[in-house]
Amino acid sequence: MSTRSFGSLFMVASCAAAALGCYLVSLRVASERASLETVEARIVRTQREVRMLQTEIGTRGRLSQLERWNAGAFELSAPQADQILKGGFELARLIRPQREVDFQAPVVLAAAPAPQRPPIGALGDDDSSTTSLTPSGLLHEASLKTETREVPAQSAGQMPLPAESKSADRPAAAAKPAPLKSTDEPGLAAAQSSKPLKKHASTASARPAKKSVDKPVVARAKAVTKRIELAKTDPLAPLPERHSGTTKDSPSGR
Amino acid sequence: MNAPAPALVASRPERLRLVGQRRQMLAVMHQRLMFGMLVYAGIIALIALRILWLAAFGDHAGRKEELTSFVPERGDIVDRDGQPLARTIDSWTIAVHPNKVIGDKLALARKLAALMPEKTEEQYFALLRSGKSFVYLRRLASPALVEKVNAIGEPGLAIQREPDRLYPQMSLAAHVIGFTDIDGHGAAGAERAFDDYLSDPKTRGTPLVLSISSKVQQALQAELQGALEHFSAIGAAGVVMDVHTGEVLAMTSLPAFNPNVPGQGTPDQMFNRATLGVFELGSTFKPFTLAMAMDSGTVSGPGQMFNCPEVLPAYGQVVHDTHPFGRQCSVAEIMMESSNIGMAQMADQLGTARQKAWLKKMGFLDRVEIELKERGRPLTPGSRWGPFETMTIGFGQGIAVAPLQLAMGYATLFDDGIYHPPTILKVGPGHPLKPGRRVFSADTSYRMRSLLRLVVMKGTGRKADAPGYRVGGKTGTAQKVIDGRYSQTVNVTSFAGVFPMDDPRYVVVVMLDEPKATPETYGFTTAGWNVAPVVSKTISRIAPMLGVTPDMNREPNMSEVLPFIHNPKQDSKKD
Repeated sequence: MSTRSFGSLFMVASCAAAALGCYLVSLRVASERASLETVEARIVRTQREVRMLQTEIGTRGRLSQLERWNAGAFELSAPQADQILKGGFELARLIRPQREVDFQAPVVLAAAPAPQRPPIGALGDDDSSTTSLTPSGLLHEASLKTETREVPAQSAGQMPLPAESKSADRPAAAAKPAPLKSTDEPGLAAAQSSKPLKKHASTASARPAKKSVDKPVVARAKAVTKRIELAKTDPLAPLPERHSGTTKDSPSGR
Repeated sequence: MNAPAPALVASRPERLRLVGQRRQMLAVMHQRLMFGMLVYAGIIALIALRILWLAAFGDHAGRKEELTSFVPERGDIVDRDGQPLARTIDSWTIAVHPNKVIGDKLALARKLAALMPEKTEEQYFALLRSGKSFVYLRRLASPALVEKVNAIGEPGLAIQREPDRLYPQMSLAAHVIGFTDIDGHGAAGAERAFDDYLSDPKTRGTPLVLSISSKVQQALQAELQGALEHFSAIGAAGVVMDVHTGEVLAMTSLPAFNPNVPGQGTPDQMFNRATLGVFELGSTFKPFTLAMAMDSGTVSGPGQMFNCPEVLPAYGQVVHDTHPFGRQCSVAEIMMESSNIGMAQMADQLGTARQKAWLKKMGFLDRVEIELKERGRPLTPGSRWGPFETMTIGFGQGIAVAPLQLAMGYATLFDDGIYHPPTILKVGPGHPLKPGRRVFSADTSYRMRSLLRLVVMKGTGRKADAPGYRVGGKTGTAQKVIDGRYSQTVNVTSFAGVFPMDDPRYVVVVMLDEPKATPETYGFTTAGWNVAPVVSKTISRIAPMLGVTPDMNREPNMSEVLPFIHNPKQDSKKD
């Protein structure tokens, strides 16, 4: 009974509550809108100020003023045609290092001479000759002259001998040209070394039968780093031995 | 009990009446209450509806767009890179309401005279006692001054902000931009030409983008100003134009004025020599005559020979040369040495009718087509245009055009012969390039390249060369008409240059009005001595900005013209 009689009252109350809720929402929206508008007004004001400041900076730094400083105070002028480069290549050309002939640099030969060895048959007979002829020894001597080559040369020297027999079927390694390093300047020094080179060549041609003369070196070198690159020690190696290596060779070879 | 009975009986109808009355009254009261309630309900409903309406469609709803973007009082003018050339800013204005001053007027006059010394105390005092309602004391006041005036604390002083047009670059491109009058309407230049656009609330939010490049403009203006002062010329004009689009990248007229204070400019400064002034530009016209002749077929090419005597008598007059050949000479030599005699013969072969038709086609007989309102009408012989006038026009005498028109002609000649009307608006999405019209054939345009390059390499325009930028062009020295006669000493010198000549992109036209000789020029006042170096310096400065890469190994096809140059030294060596 009571609920039915209060029904209309509930209806009115709920309607009022709903209306109030709606009103609150709209009030909230209105207040949000107002704050947004304030922000917008501030943005516009700031834009106006930024514009003002930009204009002031632009006016103070106007081109005629800059011209007065550039032309008058700093005496700047337009770049010449040759001061303007077309790209990276022209820029790189500018910093190309000056090539100078270094007379102190060690002489590097493009190809290694063939060290002399007794014939294979005589290998077992003459021990002294074989020891003196081992390329490891030669290499060691050579590396004493050029510091840069010392490490691979030593390692090659310390290599065990068994690899020697395997390397017999790799004749091309010695002929591989060594890449020139910056210190190895071919120049006057190369001209000076032409004489020993001929000497080596003559010795090599004198013993064409010995095919495997330089193979042990390659073999050992390969064993060190397992890289063909080590062959580059090879052509360099005999080069300083011009003095020491050849003198060692001479008793056995000649 | 009887007594009340009749009373009862008697009262009954009264009662009945009373009951009826009460009912009636109640009904009326109900009606009135209901009516009042309805009225209140209606009013409340109205208010509620109004509130709802305001909430939905009120002031808040539609104002956002206006608020978020800042719209200036008058549209900005910017250059092609977006650098502002004209802006409207709020400036402070100090004014006084003399009839509203409540303090001591004498003391106020003293303070004002101390702050703004342009008037004396007596003048300020007289002003304050005049009883006027409003007088401006200072417009464009500095903030510091405004602060001090405000500190006086006189309610009769009015300190307001009002929009003011500011030109940040001062006199840079002043003639192109123009200025506004006191009401804020354009009075000259682009301000006048685009007044509607700049003042319309719908469009003024977006700045007006000009084709002017302020850096190029500054380079041209500075170099030209230097030459103007060095050679004591009375005026100068210069134009840099894009060959392919007709956009004016720089246009200057010297002496210039400061558009921030246009009232201080003299009429001479206000005069736009580049568009409004028309000048006889002399030999710079010769390439057009040659192009016309080649296009019409009267000249076969740079190798055709003409008889070039010391003087050429023609139609009862005599044509002279500054460097007479006195022999047979080729077209290439005529261009190189700027021979009037050779050109006169070419123009004569072309004929008056054809020359007129060509000049009409190139736009030299009408006002220059540009948005600016300051446009000069070219001067031509008109009805006196006979065979001799045809000859003189052939080498640039007897026709006066604006320097901008000359630039336009060169742009036409080197844009494969296609004419585009010059414009001061940047060509882009908002202002697309209008289709041009063909004037010269592409072949003629190509053959002119090496001829004009020859002038700069070996001819009269050697000082205009900027190494690496392949400048080609033509000098022009015209005698000024003074009291109806050509003066022998007063010149207008001009140079029209194009670069890079192997693929023309920009035209530079420079003109000096009445340059004087200096020791460096050995007494000469010809164009090769005074304006050609301006072109060289300007191109060296602007070419890197415009993206033209210098290259010492590139040239136009010079083998087309070099064989036709008579070189006695070389010939003697060969022999």
